[in-house]
Amino acid sequence: MIEVRNLYYTYTGESYILKGIDFEMGKEIVALVGPNGSGKTTFAKHLNGLLKPTKGSVKVDGLDTGEHTVAELSRKVGYVFQNPEHMFFEENVFKEVAFGPKNLGKSEDEIRKLVSWALKSVGLEGYEERSPYSLSGGEKQRLAIACVLAMKPKYLVLDEPTTGLDAKAERSVIETIRSLREDGHGILLITHDMDLVLELAERVVLLQDGRKVFDGPVEEFFSRALEPFGLERPELLRIAERFGIGFVRSSEELLGELGDAG
Amino acid sequence: MIHTFYREGNSLLHSLDPRAKIVGTVAATAAVLLFNDPVVTGMLFLIFLLLARLLGDISVRESLSFLKPLVPLLVFTIIIWILIYSPRWMGFIFGVSFGIRLLSLGLITFTLLATTRQRELIQGFVRMGLPYEFGLTISIGLRYIPTLYLLTRNIMDAQKSRGWEVEKGNLIVRVRKMTAVLIPLLVASLKTAHELSIALESRAFGAGKKVTFLNDLEMHGRDYAAVLLSLFALGLALYARYVLDFGHFALYG
Repeated sequence: MIEVRNLYYTYTGESYILKGIDFEMGKEIVALVGPNGSGKTTFAKHLNGLLKPTKGSVKVDGLDTGEHTVAELSRKVGYVFQNPEHMFFEENVFKEVAFGPKNLGKSEDEIRKLVSWALKSVGLEGYEERSPYSLSGGEKQRLAIACVLAMKPKYLVLDEPTTGLDAKAERSVIETIRSLREDGHGILLITHDMDLVLELAERVVLLQDGRKVFDGPVEEFFSRALEPFGLERPELLRIAERFGIGFVRSSEELLGELGDAG
Repeated sequence: MIHTFYREGNSLLHSLDPRAKIVGTVAATAAVLLFNDPVVTGMLFLIFLLLARLLGDISVRESLSFLKPLVPLLVFTIIIWILIYSPRWMGFIFGVSFGIRLLSLGLITFTLLATTRQRELIQGFVRMGLPYEFGLTISIGLRYIPTLYLLTRNIMDAQKSRGWEVEKGNLIVRVRKMTAVLIPLLVASLKTAHELSIALESRAFGAGKKVTFLNDLEMHGRDYAAVLLSLFALGLALYARYVLDFGHFALYG
């Protein structure tokens, strides 16, 4: 369980970026949404200790992030940065994924197991000898997830994992996220993509101006007016409404409902 | 955080042509280097402090806080002079004098940078004869310092999230660990440079022989007056130093 209590944060010592956020998450997919500059990334960086609270507290399975290093917390919370290229430096995929477990002091045998498990989880088996920079966009994103996953964190923070990907690559990332959820990981998904939220999330947290303005189920989230927050209602929901069908999560679901009705 | 020294304002110095200010800076620098009597260098320092306040609207506190990082150098200078010069009390006096010179040079540079936008400063140099490509290279270089700084921070955060700890281990281990940051940084920088060169070319960089400026500089009456006044003041200083033999001790003799 990640528990955030009354979190305040300021970079400069003057104005607060985060203004009293309370938040809890367990093994679920939580979408963290909000306009640019609302504090999403700043908030997420508190979960693995990259930033320490100015006021308030962040606890991960009882560990206070203020008292532990990022390296210690990386066993609990994996953070996948937006641009995967910002972490690749090894000559091949195997070494790249092995970097994390190596830092945790795992034995060579364990490392080999962890790497092949992580690569399998993201569907990159057989890529061990490729250079990370030679992969396609979707593959790079999945490799970035594998690099963090190999450290066996219980929770994962994914910062805009589908931005800039084509439909096929996006699909592969979505499938990866789904299977991670089934394996019992808690996932915090930072995104601007409302279709992705609709399809994947179990809960939505909306930030604005450093404050939490919504925290609840996806269906309730999309029944609210989203325009004031610079967010768009997914087309799919509008179409479903036209047909008089209630809340659906994917076009397959919509088609299914239409088939039943017809 | 890295920031520029420029301070928004509309003082006389802010409104002068950068070329006039460059001439003034050079003249002031030369004047400072003429004298080594601590009383004279001290007076000059106070005059520059006053000028920055009156003409550039830079508070004395701001100037002094800018000079604060130079204090260790000042102390070091004085100690060295005491050690190498005999008699020692004269060494002390020269040390103080040279220290004040150092502060004056810092202050003059700061005044220029605080009242002149980087873009204008480079344009000034270009109009004084620096090749345009050099000017552009300098301004692009300066422009990318904060960007690279943020990029480095971001990459370090990404690697920390993978259990990377640079603080652990001896020097060699630490240097080797830095590859985890240097390689992504190098790749990202090369990509940025490549994109930048494409962007420059697609905006017709190098297409014409002569480059024109959107906001061209123009010397007005008071800019010429400022240049003349700076040169006149420098002339006075030269006269005082070499004809009247004022404010200078022979170091070796």
